[in-house]
Amino acid sequence: MQFISFYLSRIVNSRIFSKDYQVIGKLKDLAVTTDSRNPKVVLAKIMTRDGIKYIDWDQITVNKKDGKYHLLCRQLKEESLNDNLLLGKQLLDRQIIDINGRKVVRVNDIRLVVLSTGLFVVAVDIGTEGLLRRLGVAKPVAKLGIKLPAKLILWNDVEPVLAGDEKLVLTKTYNKLNTLHPSDLADIIEDFDTKTGMIIFSKLDNARSADVLEEMEEDAQVKMLENLETEKAADILEEMPADEVADILDGLSKYKAEELLSSMEKEASDEVRELMEYDEKLIGSMMSNEFIAFKSDETVQRVMESLREQKPEESLINYIYVVNNKNILIGKISLRDLVISQPNTTLKSIMHKDFIFMYDTDKIDEMIDMVSKYNLLAIPIVDKEMNLVGNVIGNDVIHELLKD
Amino acid sequence: MVQSKNKTWFARILVFLSVIGPGIITGSVDNDAGGITTYSVAGAEYGYHLLWTLIPAFVVLLVVQEMNARMGIVTGKGLADLIRENFGVKVTFFIFLGLLVADIGNTTTEFAGVAGSLQIFGVSKYISVPVSAILVWLFVVKGNYRSAEKLFLIFSVFLFSYVVSALMAKPDWTHIGQAIVKPNIESNTKYIGMVIGMVGTTIAPWMQFYMQSAVIEKGIKIDEYKYALWDVVIGCIATIVVAFFIIIACGATLHTKGIVINDAADAAEALRPFAGIFASQLFAFGLFIASVFAATILPLATAFYICEAFGFEAGIDKKIKEAPEFYSFFTSIIIISVLIILIPNAPLIPITIWSQIINGILLPVVLISMMILVNKKEIMGAYVNSSIKNLIGWATIIVLLVLTTILTVEPFFN
Repeated sequence: MQFISFYLSRIVNSRIFSKDYQVIGKLKDLAVTTDSRNPKVVLAKIMTRDGIKYIDWDQITVNKKDGKYHLLCRQLKEESLNDNLLLGKQLLDRQIIDINGRKVVRVNDIRLVVLSTGLFVVAVDIGTEGLLRRLGVAKPVAKLGIKLPAKLILWNDVEPVLAGDEKLVLTKTYNKLNTLHPSDLADIIEDFDTKTGMIIFSKLDNARSADVLEEMEEDAQVKMLENLETEKAADILEEMPADEVADILDGLSKYKAEELLSSMEKEASDEVRELMEYDEKLIGSMMSNEFIAFKSDETVQRVMESLREQKPEESLINYIYVVNNKNILIGKISLRDLVISQPNTTLKSIMHKDFIFMYDTDKIDEMIDMVSKYNLLAIPIVDKEMNLVGNVIGNDVIHELLKD
Repeated sequence: MVQSKNKTWFARILVFLSVIGPGIITGSVDNDAGGITTYSVAGAEYGYHLLWTLIPAFVVLLVVQEMNARMGIVTGKGLADLIRENFGVKVTFFIFLGLLVADIGNTTTEFAGVAGSLQIFGVSKYISVPVSAILVWLFVVKGNYRSAEKLFLIFSVFLFSYVVSALMAKPDWTHIGQAIVKPNIESNTKYIGMVIGMVGTTIAPWMQFYMQSAVIEKGIKIDEYKYALWDVVIGCIATIVVAFFIIIACGATLHTKGIVINDAADAAEALRPFAGIFASQLFAFGLFIASVFAATILPLATAFYICEAFGFEAGIDKKIKEAPEFYSFFTSIIIISVLIILIPNAPLIPITIWSQIINGILLPVVLISMMILVNKKEIMGAYVNSSIKNLIGWATIIVLLVLTTILTVEPFFN
C-alpha cells in the first residue's frame, strides 16, 4: 500500500472528482472526531455548485500524481457536522499548548497521514516553513537554498483549546495538562487571552486550580477570581494556604474579597481574616498557619507514626515545633534529630530550648535578616504570650524578596 | 446585584480611573510629529479655514475606536489575533508587511520631530536622536506595562502645552467661531489634499491594533464598558482639542503674516517673533514630547502585533531571552529609523509621503476586516454592531476609502 502523508494546506482547495472524473466540488475543510486519542478525519467540507456540503470522508481516496494531490470520491454521502472538529476553522491559525515546550504556540499547518484505518492528524506545524507554505512561497524559498527548519509537534504533545460558544470541548484530552508543572501551566494560561485562559483554568480540578493560581502573577490572579463563579472561586481558595489567600484577596476590591470569604468554609475563612488584619510590613501578614507541632511529652515513635499518617509537605517537615499543654512554644527539633533518636525518648529530652523564633508583630525585613543570618529553613512565629501562631518557610522568604 | 445599582459617585470615579488609559493614550499618540506637522501647515496656510474638518475627524475617530475597545473587551483578543484566526495567513501577512514598512517610515518621522524640536533649544540632532533612541529602548526593555502606561498618561498631559502656545498668540475668537460655523470650503486640489491629510493623520492603521491591545492589557471587563467608552470619548476630545489649538497657534501668527512652513519644527521657530520665545519653546517642547511618545509606542506596537499574529512570544513584561523575535523587531525598527535620520541629506519628504501612501492602502483593509469581525456573532456574541453603528461604520469606511484613494493616488500626479 502506498504510504501518504501531507499537509492540510496542500489539499485544501483541491478539486474532488467523482468515479467518472466529473468535478464534484472543492475541498474546503476536514472534520475530525474528537473522542479518540488520535483524531480521525470523518467528514470533508466541500464547496459544490449547490453550496457547502459535508460528505463522508471514507468514500474519498487521496492520490499523489506529479506532486499534486487528487481526491477521488467513490460515492457522495452527505452527513451533518455534529460534534466533529473542523481542522481549518477551529485548529488552523489558532493558539494551542505545546506540552513539551510548555508554551503557547500558533498552528501554521496540520500534518495528516493516511493509514489503513483512515486519515489521521499526526502533528501540527508551528514553524516558519509552515507559514511560507501557506503563503505559497515555501518551494521557491527552498530552491533559493534557504533552509528553514520545520517545527512539527506530535499531536500527542499538543493541547488544543476551543474557546467561546463553540460547544466542542475536548474534555478527555485535558488530562495532558496534568503532566505540566503548575508554574508552567500558570504561565501558559496567562499567555492566552482572558476568556480562553478561563476555559483552561476551569477545566482543572480544585486542588490543581489552587496550585496553578498560587503560581500566577498578582494581576492574573485577580482577573481569574473576578471572572470565576463565586462558589468555584471559594472552593479553590479553600485548597490554598491561608497566607496566599490573604495576599490575593488584598488585591481584590473589599466587596469582592468579602463575598469570597463568606462563601468559603468558616474555618478556612477565619484563618484568612486573621492574616488580613496584619499590616503588610509585619510578619503576621505573610506567615502561614501550616506547621508541624507536637506536645513535649510525646515520644519520638508516636511522632514518627503521626507524620507517616499526615504526610506533610516537604517544606514543612524540616522542623518539628514543640509546645506545652497551653500551646506555648517551648522547643524545636530538626528532622535529623528526630530520625536518629531512640523511638521511646520524649520530645522534651531531645528538643532545642534555645532556638530562633519571632513575633507576629515583628517586621518582615528583620525576619529576612534572621533567616539568612542563621540559614534557617523555616522560622516559628509566636504572639506576645508565646503562643505558636504561625510559620514562615524559606520559600516564602524568597518570594518576599523577589516581590520588589 | 444591588450594590452595583447604588454605586456612589465616588465609587464610579474609582472604577473610571481604573479603566482610563487606552483611549486617552491612543488619542494622544495620534498627535505625533506627523500630525503636528499637518496641523501646523494647515494653520499656517489656511488660517482658521480648515478648523471644521476636525468635526468629521472626531466622529470617525470615535466610531473606530469604540469598535476596537468593544472587540478587545468582549473577545479578550488582539486585532492581530482575530485577523489571523479569521482571515488566514495571507491577509495577515500582507497587512503586517505593510504595517512594518509604514511604521518604520512613521518612526523615522518621529525621530525627525525629536531632532527638529531639540534644534530649537540648540541641541544638535547627532546628539538628540541617538540619546533619545537609547532612552526609548532602555525604557521599553527594562520597563513593564504599568510604569509605561503611567508615563504615557503624563506625556498626554504635556501635550496641552499647545493650548498655552495658542493663547499666547492672542487669536481672534470671533474669526475662529465664524470659520467653524460657516466654513469657507474651496474645491481646488491643494485644499482637498490638505483636508484629506488632516483626516488621514487623525486615524492611522496601527492605532486600531494598539487600542485593542491596550484595552486587553488593562483587563477591562464588559460591565466596565461604559467607563471604557468614556475613556475613548475623552481621548478623542483631547486629540481634537490639541489639534484645534495647534491650528490656532499657527493660524493666528504665521498665516496672518503669510509665512510658509514645511514642518512642525519650522512652525516652532517661526512663532518666536510673533508670540514670544516662551510660546515658541513651548511649541517645540510639545513637539518633542509627542515625537518621543510616538517613537516609543510605534515600534513597540508594531513588534507586538507581528509577533502576536505569527505566534512568537511578545510583551513588554517578557525578558529578551523569552521573546527574542519581539525585541529584534523592536530594536531593528528603532535602529533603521535613527540611521535614516542621521544620514546627511536623507530623503525625509519621500519617506513621509510613502509611509502615508502605505497607510492609505492599509487603512481600508484594516477597517473592513474590523467591520466583518465586529459583526460576527460567533466572535462578538450579543455585542455585535447595532445597525446604527454599522451605518456610521460603513459610511466612515466609504468616505475614508474615497479620501485615501485620492490621497494615495495624488502624489503620482504631482
